[in-house]
Amino acid sequence: MNAIEIRNLTKSFGEKLALSGLNMTVPEGSIYGFIGENGSGKSTTEKIICGLIHKTGGSVKLYDKDHTDIDVRASVGVLIESPGCYPGYSVWNNLMLQATNLRLKNKEDEVRKVLKLVRMEGAASNKFKNCSLGMKQRIGIAMALLGNPKLLVLDEPINGLDADGMRIMREILTDIAKSGSTVLVSSHILGELEKIATHYGIIRGGKMIVEMTAEELENSCPTFVALQTKDLKNTKEVLEKKYSKVRYDEEKEYLRVYDAESPEEVAKFLYDNKIIINELKTDKIGLEEYYINLMNDKEGK
Amino acid sequence: MEQNKQLKFESPSFITRIKSMLSVDFYRLFHTPLFYIFIAIAAIIPAMIIGTTGMEGSQTGAIFTNTWQAIAVEKPLYVIENIGQYANMNMVFIFGGIMVSIFIGHDYKSGYVKQLFTTHAKKQDYMISKSLTCAFAMVCMCGTYLVGTVLAGALVGLSFKVNFGSLVCALLGKVIMSLGWASLYTFLNVIFRKYFAVSILSSFFFGTGILIIGAAAILGNSAVLNIFLYGSSVYACLSSNFVSVLVCLLCSVVWSVIYNVLGTYILNKSDVY
Repeated sequence: MNAIEIRNLTKSFGEKLALSGLNMTVPEGSIYGFIGENGSGKSTTEKIICGLIHKTGGSVKLYDKDHTDIDVRASVGVLIESPGCYPGYSVWNNLMLQATNLRLKNKEDEVRKVLKLVRMEGAASNKFKNCSLGMKQRIGIAMALLGNPKLLVLDEPINGLDADGMRIMREILTDIAKSGSTVLVSSHILGELEKIATHYGIIRGGKMIVEMTAEELENSCPTFVALQTKDLKNTKEVLEKKYSKVRYDEEKEYLRVYDAESPEEVAKFLYDNKIIINELKTDKIGLEEYYINLMNDKEGK
Repeated sequence: MEQNKQLKFESPSFITRIKSMLSVDFYRLFHTPLFYIFIAIAAIIPAMIIGTTGMEGSQTGAIFTNTWQAIAVEKPLYVIENIGQYANMNMVFIFGGIMVSIFIGHDYKSGYVKQLFTTHAKKQDYMISKSLTCAFAMVCMCGTYLVGTVLAGALVGLSFKVNFGSLVCALLGKVIMSLGWASLYTFLNVIFRKYFAVSILSSFFFGTGILIIGAAAILGNSAVLNIFLYGSSVYACLSSNFVSVLVCLLCSVVWSVIYNVLGTYILNKSDVY
């Protein structure tokens, strides 16, 4: 069964079309990385799933039931943009209020449990307004986790976090998925997303352009031989005599050879041409590069 | 956390839902300084009214000769002849409106509604819960207003002579009308939920009764205005009787139902956040 199934979803704000026939399938138990540029429709889609805004057309099903079914929707934990907490209340009180809204039986135990899960036990008495951004995001996750939801919808939960905060968030999300929940997470930090996601959906201009599993992404990301020499310009010219797909990686200052059979083959060829290699390895393009290439393709670059 | 989550979705009853929502709203009410500030304001208002209108030699002269005139007018009037006919317990509902706006506005400013409406909470529950909580707050304000009136009247030395039955009926009428007023303000705040300042201004605008005073100026003084145009908190006057209380009850319930239905409709048809 799919946790989320969206077909031909449309949403317009006045004359502006935010979603135009979006299709999306989030399998149960997956960590679904929802990727797209700013304004591509990620948050709008998530808000519709959670029932915060109305759709203009199409269908949204959560566990085979219409998303407007309040009983199904109540099993969705949500963190959209920022946590909906009262700034003057303590972290504990904010969580207790949500636990009351959810009519949890052992509220205090449940709140303690989620605080432990997000590594925030020590900050329960802090006022929400005094918490750091990273702490606030974790409180948002804790709030979303109350009531043991079947589906978590998290909008940019790792934005603004430092390296340690990101690591903690990654561990939290992995723990959640292990417990059997489905996680829909949108983020611009693709390197982090790549470490945890089992499925991906890439949205552009209100339309889903690609949906794939992590395995499919792995298969569609080409491997290449990366090398570094003293004179990259000359090396490139030499390599192009034998290989047709040689690219210069500006960011890492590497040369990439996509159509070499092995690093040894490249090494031998350069040795024969009297070029000394500083570094040589095989590498693979990641989600971020895949995404950028895809976007460039769509823009016809 | 459970390892295997069963796909079983619970459907709590209306009573269960409203109980949890009311407990959150009352918790918030009692844990916000706003509530206590407005309770204190309600106690101070009669002192100010009596201080400015009840003392000999005051700027406006001694309009009030009796303490209970600060609670209600002698007869239900909308054509106001002096400030004394306007300045009474109905002022509580003006300040109450501002309190409701701030109370509900924080739900949207903090983003709390995002969390709320992803639980079993229905829009109808939200309207009912807010109306009841805010009505309770206004009843409390009426209570402190009464205490303030008695103290101020005693300090200034005004008469306490009154038909006790009528006074009780007037007080009851106003207390009952709290629900109608709270429903109106909740409705206004649902309409202007994205514009905090506008919601406060709208509550103030309706609370001051400018519309009804304007209508009365055109139509003349008519009890009809009490019921059909602006409810009946003014109707609860010092000549009230049991029927007046019933009229207040009827108006309050009708208002509440109308505003709650309209508010629920608006929330259901529009984007929440």
